[in-house]
Amino acid sequence: MSGKLGDRKNAIFTRSHNEAILLIGKSLEDCPLDEDEDAFQGLGEEDEEIDQFNDDTFGSGAVDDDWQEAHERLAELEEKLPAAVNEQTGNGERDEMDLLGDHEENLAERLSKMVIENELEDPAIMTAVQTRPVLQPQPGSLNSSIWDGSEVLRRIRGPLLAQEMPAVSVLEYALPQRTPQAPEDDRDLSERALPRRSTSPVIGSPPVRAVPIGTPPKQMAVPSFNQQILCPKPVHVRPPMPPRYPAPYGERMSPNQLCSVPNSSLLGHPFPPSVPPVLSPLQRAQLLGGAQLQPGRMSPSQFARVPGFVGSPLAAAMNPKLLQGRVGQMLPPAPGFRAFFSAPPPATPPPPQQHPPGPGPHLQNLRSQAPMFRPDTTHLHPQHRRLLHQRQQQNRNQHRNLNGAGDRGSHRSSHHDHLRKDPYANLMLQREKDWVSKIQMMQLQSTDPYLDDFYYQNYFEKLEKLSAAEEVQGDGPKKERTKLITPQVAKLEHTYKPVQFEGSLGKLTVSSVNNPRKMIDAVVTSRSEDDETKEKQVRDKRRKTLVIIEKTYSLLLDVEDYERRYLLSLEEERPALMEERKHKICSMYDNLRGKLPGQERPSDDHFVQIMCIRKGKRMVARILPFLSTEQAADILMTTARSLPFLIKKDAQDEVLPCLLSPFSLLVYHLPSVTVTSLLQQLMNLPQSAAAPAPSNPHLTAVLQNKFGLSLLLVVLSRGEDLQSSDPAAESTQNNQWTEVMFTATQELLRIPQAALAKPLSIPTNLVSLFSRYVDRQKLNLLETKLQLVQGIR
Amino acid sequence: MNYMPGTASLIEDIDKKHLVLLRDGRTLIGFLRSIDQFANLVLHQTVERIHVGKKYGDIPRGIFVVRGENVVLLGEIDLEKESDTPLQQVSIEEILEEQRVEQQTRLEAEKLKVQALKDREKEVQTEEVRGSQS
Repeated sequence: MSGKLGDRKNAIFTRSHNEAILLIGKSLEDCPLDEDEDAFQGLGEEDEEIDQFNDDTFGSGAVDDDWQEAHERLAELEEKLPAAVNEQTGNGERDEMDLLGDHEENLAERLSKMVIENELEDPAIMTAVQTRPVLQPQPGSLNSSIWDGSEVLRRIRGPLLAQEMPAVSVLEYALPQRTPQAPEDDRDLSERALPRRSTSPVIGSPPVRAVPIGTPPKQMAVPSFNQQILCPKPVHVRPPMPPRYPAPYGERMSPNQLCSVPNSSLLGHPFPPSVPPVLSPLQRAQLLGGAQLQPGRMSPSQFARVPGFVGSPLAAAMNPKLLQGRVGQMLPPAPGFRAFFSAPPPATPPPPQQHPPGPGPHLQNLRSQAPMFRPDTTHLHPQHRRLLHQRQQQNRNQHRNLNGAGDRGSHRSSHHDHLRKDPYANLMLQREKDWVSKIQMMQLQSTDPYLDDFYYQNYFEKLEKLSAAEEVQGDGPKKERTKLITPQVAKLEHTYKPVQFEGSLGKLTVSSVNNPRKMIDAVVTSRSEDDETKEKQVRDKRRKTLVIIEKTYSLLLDVEDYERRYLLSLEEERPALMEERKHKICSMYDNLRGKLPGQERPSDDHFVQIMCIRKGKRMVARILPFLSTEQAADILMTTARSLPFLIKKDAQDEVLPCLLSPFSLLVYHLPSVTVTSLLQQLMNLPQSAAAPAPSNPHLTAVLQNKFGLSLLLVVLSRGEDLQSSDPAAESTQNNQWTEVMFTATQELLRIPQAALAKPLSIPTNLVSLFSRYVDRQKLNLLETKLQLVQGIR
Repeated sequence: MNYMPGTASLIEDIDKKHLVLLRDGRTLIGFLRSIDQFANLVLHQTVERIHVGKKYGDIPRGIFVVRGENVVLLGEIDLEKESDTPLQQVSIEEILEEQRVEQQTRLEAEKLKVQALKDREKEVQTEEVRGSQS
């Protein structure tokens, strides 16, 4: 093998450094000048036949990092074509590559041209520079090491690139087979890319590098313009063409890369004065795309083209894959990211890696799109160029169709137009966007999404239930909502191990977040009661109530959550859960009523205090369903007793009506006795009907309040239900009820209608209720007063 | 393509014209070129817009790199509606002049206020003294 190598080396030398040879079908990374030797080492192994239709040229595909392979290919080609073709390394370097069928013929042509051209060049420089510029984000390149944080992203990059870089510059053609990319990637990547996630890179800082920063990458990404710099005498002088579009979307070098590129014109000479500075963005485009023109270093012959460039609109320079890139962005995220989306990903457009069926149709296609801005592909072989454009066009059409089919309004299209003309678009590479997106997703990781992201989860559950319900009704096509499924990380148990220092005597304690140390000795001094003013006492009491509300609320949230936990838990755990739940409910009730073990009946005061606070009322409404009937009835009675006071306090908040619903529910479960006493409480009727007070402020207050009146009506309705359903009820109860009703109706009749509030809901059986106890005339009065008859409203 | 539905992310705002309000009160308008996880922004072809009353003036600034924490809010500018504004654009010198004038009037108003408060303070003090004496 070494003999072969030697021969080949000589052969190459004698061919006078046909960079073009190397370029043809090879992906050689550009080595900096000082890595001459490496260039030749790669010629050792034999490589397989070049697949002219491979995706690497026409599709996407990451650049293969193995320049050795690339070398081999070139060497192989060189063998096939003894006639050294010297293709111009200026503009037309790779132009004449015929990738379709007549590959070898044209290759021969080209090689011969190359011989002619390179005669005058310095072999060392030329050969060194002949390595293919690799502008695509490679696994091993600087670019990737910064931006590719993980294997996932690496894997993603492949398909992403596949989707987004249909039109490939000639650079890609030179790249070797990429089908075995995945394993190769891993192999290569492991050398210098980010280690697996377990090392948990610090988010926001560059990932941990296996190789120290500053190590030149194994493959150097140098734009192809290097070659042009050094080959000032192009064989083919082309008429001024629109500037060559920069490398495909994903291939564009990040600014980082650009600056680190050796011989970069950014570092080199400034433009000659004749070239206006307005060229700089253009220059950038050129750099990135490996554009041919380097005004700073062009030979006079090439210089002729500069004015052409100057004239051309800057906009044309960068578009390249502007549309593609933009469109590429619209493609669904790479498969790796698809996992994040619950909705099935929209149908991906057929991957742009279709192999062109044949030159014929392509030519037609390409001709048809001639008027469009054309990237400068003069260096490409015409057929290659055609293929590229054809591919581009295909993809553009595909995406356009996709877009058109979607809900893209005119705004979008104008936006696209704008983007198309925007020479600075896509400065942020797709991979960089993915990187940021990845970080944001990582931030959403949680071990317990219900805890961390409660509202989001609940909201989407609700939506899903809604859509499921709609579906059941047989509504139209199911709407797909893409929901972000946040990555769930299993909870890991971490036991804290305190840091131990070596070489220290004894154990040094370090204060950290896991092991906090008390910094300030704060002593709690309780104030004596005497010093305080009345206001302070009131304030303190209110504060205590607030604290109690908060504690009870936490209990409530826990209790409400038990259902979910129950479903998630194992069989054995369930009884324990139920016990916990019961216990918590008891605590809640105690909190509400005020735990005073000594008293038989705790005072209402505690409860009333809670009910004075808006949050307290809402909380009681939520707690009621969990309480037992007796407990709930107790609460209800207490409320009824203090209703006027509560009404007064609720004047500003108006939250009492929220209690109506749970109270109504409760009332419908209450026995007759309770209902009777409840009614008494509500109306504050004296126990005996002996001496009715001239006015009943309690009742008045109740009736004037929405909640009060509604509650009253509910109670009445319940009473009526009980009466009608059970005529053979105990007489005592019956009598009691009847008495209460009589007094109630009397009171109701007395009250002027104007004072009545508008109840939230009016039960339907009130008419029949009243008809028992009052005569016709009064009944009518009552009806009108309470608006019991539907029509009156 | 929706990168992250249900979340707020700047990724889809890239390469679009934005109006950025900074914490120091400046208004920048530029094309958002690059972001990072801290919402640091790279604005391109940035213009600082100064508003005074119904007039505004633009100062071209070039490229801005804004640290994320200094951004109050930012929003995409609808290019079609951009010119549809009741505000009147004036030259830079004019708007700076207007700004200076506005600043001045504000300072003077402040001064008057402070002065008035001081006077009131003195009144109250004298009253208190009188009150305690009597």
